[in-house]
Amino acid sequence: SGGAGGLAQWVLVELQGEVEPRQSSGLAGSLLGDLHYTREGVPVLIVGHHILYGKVVQLEKPFAVLVKRGAGESGPAGPHTHYTVTALIKTKLLFKTRPKPIITNVPKKV
Amino acid sequence: SLVIRGEKDEQAVLCSKDKTYDMKIADTSNMLLFIPGCKTPEELNADQASCDIIHSQIAGFSNNYWELRRCRPKLKKLRKLLMEDPYEGPDSRKDQTLTFSKYNTEDLLSLIQASEEEILHQLQVIDACKIEGYWRILDFDYEMKLLNHVTQLIDSESWSLSKVPLRTCLEELGSLEPREMIEHILLSYGRKYIDDGEVYFEMLEDKICRAIAQMLLQNAVKFNLSEFQEVWQQSVPEGMTARLDQLKGLALVDKSSRPETIFLLKVEDLPEDNQERFNSLFSIREKWTEVDITPYIQDLCAEKQTVGALLTKYARSSMQNGVKVYNSRRPIA
Repeated sequence: SGGAGGLAQWVLVELQGEVEPRQSSGLAGSLLGDLHYTREGVPVLIVGHHILYGKVVQLEKPFAVLVKRGAGESGPAGPHTHYTVTALIKTKLLFKTRPKPIITNVPKKV
Repeated sequence: SLVIRGEKDEQAVLCSKDKTYDMKIADTSNMLLFIPGCKTPEELNADQASCDIIHSQIAGFSNNYWELRRCRPKLKKLRKLLMEDPYEGPDSRKDQTLTFSKYNTEDLLSLIQASEEEILHQLQVIDACKIEGYWRILDFDYEMKLLNHVTQLIDSESWSLSKVPLRTCLEELGSLEPREMIEHILLSYGRKYIDDGEVYFEMLEDKICRAIAQMLLQNAVKFNLSEFQEVWQQSVPEGMTARLDQLKGLALVDKSSRPETIFLLKVEDLPEDNQERFNSLFSIREKWTEVDITPYIQDLCAEKQTVGALLTKYARSSMQNGVKVYNSRRPIA
């Protein structure tokens, strides 16, 4: 949905700790995981074989996403660098509980 | 759009069209991922029908973000730049030589850490004018010369101080000074209005008396108060009353000396930073009453901040002869 004056609205996902790539190839282009919402609106994130439960938080101080433009270019009046507001972030999905491993193969007691 | 302003030795500020913000980087140990187009539970509820997987891309991630806090525009530099080359009038030999200390609006926008509106407003407050496309401040002596032309004309024509006609001023004084300068001095020291199609000025008593006081006070370190008041009243235009309260932020009376004295102390000459300002004031005088110090700290107040709050933060109070006074929290060198 469009935001104020047609500005894109993004969502922030906040994770505790760090995300590491499975392979050493780096994060770009890789799949992070699956995001679901329960019927009660609770966000659930599945990353690798971990499951994280979070909550939707309306940001008291919204964020603006700035994109730097014209960096390095110099006109007659000097550098043209400026920042334009690309998107607004008013909501974040906060995941701060410990990730729980999803165990699919529970060995039977012998 | 927003602009970040600051030279290499300054702390960056972010400016909108009319506001200025201090910028600080905030670190978090959490990872922040930003996802364009990600839907919230409320947005998805409406869409009961589809059970498809929505492929979303994470645009990026970060450990830090910029935090903005609204701050006072940093305008002291504006006066400093314009004072590099004050305009001394068309006859001044100075202007005929090439000087590079001239600034137009674009220059000021890239050098001053404030929003455009705040800069333009301040230019008006300090009575700057545009001469040949550059913003200029008048040299004080030249400014007084212009003011004197006008007040003498008002006197010789016996005009009311609240109805000074622009047209006649330009006619009578146009041979002495540039018309733009005559109009500028009237705009600086008067309130413009139109009556019956003609432009008039209501002269500003407080501002004129204040300027004349400055002219008198700048000639010595300090003056005997009662002598000064006498000379001052004689120097202001007929019909105007010189009062000490007109000198707030310009001069300070020393009531502890015998006889009482007065000396020039201009708030615009003092540091812009809060702590430095208080240090400077306390090194000039050890203990201040609230009435005396207020004109010298009023401009430090942030949005919704009071002088009282500033005093609580930067000073310590005590009682002296039944009067509350403020002194420094720390020893001043």
